[in-house]
Amino acid sequence: MLARVARIVVVVAILGLVVTLALAFRRDPHDIRTGTVNKPAPAFTLGRLDGSGQVSLADYSGKVVVVNFFASWCLPCIQENPALVRVYERYRSSDVVMLGINFQESRENGLAYVQRMGISWTSVADDDGHVALSYGVFGPPETFFIGPDGIIAGRHIGPIDEETLVTAIEKLRGQAATR
Amino acid sequence: MNRRVLIAIAVLALAGALAFAARPREATADERVDQITTELRCPVCQGLSVKDSTSETARQMRDLVAQRVREGKTNAEIEAEFRAAYGDWIFLSPPLTSWTGLVWLVPVAALAAGLALVTGRLRSTGIPRPSEPPSSTEVAALRERVAREEAAEG
Repeated sequence: MLARVARIVVVVAILGLVVTLALAFRRDPHDIRTGTVNKPAPAFTLGRLDGSGQVSLADYSGKVVVVNFFASWCLPCIQENPALVRVYERYRSSDVVMLGINFQESRENGLAYVQRMGISWTSVADDDGHVALSYGVFGPPETFFIGPDGIIAGRHIGPIDEETLVTAIEKLRGQAATR
Repeated sequence: MNRRVLIAIAVLALAGALAFAARPREATADERVDQITTELRCPVCQGLSVKDSTSETARQMRDLVAQRVREGKTNAEIEAEFRAAYGDWIFLSPPLTSWTGLVWLVPVAALAAGLALVTGRLRSTGIPRPSEPPSSTEVAALRERVAREEAAEG
């Protein structure tokens, strides 16, 4: 009787392992829905990279905000930049805001990168890294999509492409329109 | 007599010193930072704690923990802040209260199931057991047989 129960336990455990692995392998590694996703975006006030004052997330309340963590030493950031530039041009006159947060480097290097890469959206410096930690950032590039309600609706780890950006933005704009 | 008194005094002094050393006391700010950062996983390392890592991210995490300690936050509040950002993954030892506690329970359950399987298998195949001593009737029959065979051999 005991052996039979144990056999069933082993079979159930193996099945559980198989199901867990199957579910885990189906997940998009760029879209980790833990931590801050579906929670209010942590508030912050950071200085602009060019030194022209400060920017608060609260300034963009009611808008769709795309927050991109980047660094000049990050090669995937250079790789994703053309997509970010195109999407910024597409939405620059709309209610969509793009905000770059420079990650773990000096303001001088960050500003030089922004100027070199033709980044014309607002870029700020996270000097002590506390904002990145509050968002649960592992490393750049990471992109967060914040809805008009201030909730983080999505997160993309690694270089992002134009289609992913537009899809996420349009989804949030659609939600805002139906509210 | 004097020697016994001296030994008793020495034992009492030793016990007193041990009790004094082990008395509960409040951890200093640095000790609290060490305690918390020992439990936190460095997000950019392979299985290293924030305390042990030399990465920039770990340094920033240590600074944030030290800042929160200075602000008067409790250990639980500081850990909750990191859990909110990274989930339970940020702890090197998964807490028993969440589903990650299965990490602790599954090996114990697997061991118990394995033991039960082995026990069941051994019972069903049958381990040779020590034979019981022959009854007096069997002994008598054997003796009679031996006597008969000896008589037959002459």
